Amino acid sequence: MATPKNSKMDKSDSLASDERIYPRAVHGLFAMWRSIGVLILLGIYYIIPWLEWSERQAVLFDLPNRKFHIFGLTFWPQDFFYFAVLLIIAAFALFFFTAIAGRLWCGYACPQTVWTEVFMWIARKVEGDRPKQIKLDKMPWNAYKIRIKTTKHLLWLLLAAYTGFTFVGYFTPIDQLAARIMDLALGPWEWFWIIFYSFATWGNAGFMREKVCIYMCPYARFQSAMFDNDTLIISYDEGRGEPRGSRKRNEDPSSKNLGSCIDCTLCVQVCPTGIDIREGLQYQCIACSACIDVCDSVMDKMGYDRGLIKYTTENTRQGKQISLFRPRILVYAASLAIMIIGLGYAIATRIPLEVDITRDRTRLFNETDTGLIENTYSLQIINKDGKQHNYQITASGINNMKMIIKSDNINIAAGEAVDIPLRLQVDAYDLKKRSTEIMLSVISTDNTDIEISEPARFLGPAGRR
Amino acid sequence: MADDTLPTCQKTVSVLWPAFLTAGLATILFFTAFDPDVLLQETRFADTSRLGAYSIGFFLFWLLTTSSCALTCFFRKPCNPK
Repeated sequence: MATPKNSKMDKSDSLASDERIYPRAVHGLFAMWRSIGVLILLGIYYIIPWLEWSERQAVLFDLPNRKFHIFGLTFWPQDFFYFAVLLIIAAFALFFFTAIAGRLWCGYACPQTVWTEVFMWIARKVEGDRPKQIKLDKMPWNAYKIRIKTTKHLLWLLLAAYTGFTFVGYFTPIDQLAARIMDLALGPWEWFWIIFYSFATWGNAGFMREKVCIYMCPYARFQSAMFDNDTLIISYDEGRGEPRGSRKRNEDPSSKNLGSCIDCTLCVQVCPTGIDIREGLQYQCIACSACIDVCDSVMDKMGYDRGLIKYTTENTRQGKQISLFRPRILVYAASLAIMIIGLGYAIATRIPLEVDITRDRTRLFNETDTGLIENTYSLQIINKDGKQHNYQITASGINNMKMIIKSDNINIAAGEAVDIPLRLQVDAYDLKKRSTEIMLSVISTDNTDIEISEPARFLGPAGRR
Repeated sequence: MADDTLPTCQKTVSVLWPAFLTAGLATILFFTAFDPDVLLQETRFADTSRLGAYSIGFFLFWLLTTSSCALTCFFRKPCNPK
């Protein structure tokens, strides 16, 4: 799909770049679903940073402290693996849904669509629907136009600013952010990112709109690779619609040798990317189904059957059976299931403890007054659990190894890291090699399931056997 | 490449946007591996906050990737203009 005839592509490209698109407001089944989707997704975005979880922000990607809190879980830079798997799962989920239902993501769930919907809704409340917006833009500047445009942009900027503020609230505690923004006491980078994200929202949802989908979205370019003949697409029934032409409501189209399409061009007017769905499937189509809603309402008025433009599949169009269980879908579904279960298992059985060992690099080893060989280490112990723990360190690998440490019982609060300096001493006669592998184990004394052993090296003089 | 046929919007976006995406990825990978506080502690930038270091790091990466994208466009010009 999505390989339009060249002449058409050139035409629509120039349309997209030169002319501003004023999508007409649309009402109907799919418009309602999109509104519900928009409300839920925006609700999630704006509310989540305000949720609390045991006296801290429930979802906080705490960049300044290099910790990600997601409800009861805390992730550290060392947990990058989980993040990578999550991204792959997200990609496969997108492939899976695209193969089944086409550009469902684009039409209903993409942030670009969601914020553009809200921005267009504001514009329609202030400026009126499509004809009024076109008239207003053609009008010379006067007091009325200035007033209307200022109102619209003020509302847009307010929403954009709150969006930018919320965005930064995911990375730095939002309640403190709100308090400090009232006192104008934010750090320079907090100001910068709030303003940067606000302008990006204002620009993308207010001005760029469909150009983001056409020029910037990588998914829009390769989504056709996931399509097959059973993928849900939005399609105009050419056989039924053509030849198109205007007629009176009570006229019998067959007497005028006309199809069902009355050529009212409403499907073009409502299209957020400014294409004509009657020319066939085009890569600009984000499958928002605005044309379905508006065409159905026209068909109702004319007393014709609905579905001149509808969700369908290539196989249905050709009168073939559609099959949901095709290899492509099964492979995507199986990969998704395996990865989700794997990630769930890995996170559920993750040991909430991390130990990083660094050897003192200034000296290979010391010889103590009593003639023992001594190595110095620094252990960084990170308690990744949601509650505090007491830990004990043990060393093994060389006979009669002595450990010198400030305190035997190490207490670390939830989500904190502590550096523990540590010295190990052995008798040179117990060393067989210049470099011996030893094991340092950290175990939680209040929960012995939490234990990690890390290898380290003990250096000494050449063997003295 | 008949680049002249592309709309200006697409030309601009095709340089800045891929650069933005790869710079974002590079920033995430780089700062996951290296803590800016540790990197900068022995330098005169030791007072930079982590948020500042991430931000500056991102824009430096973006500058780098943008130059790379722009150079690609430049070298795609035909060598023998008529």
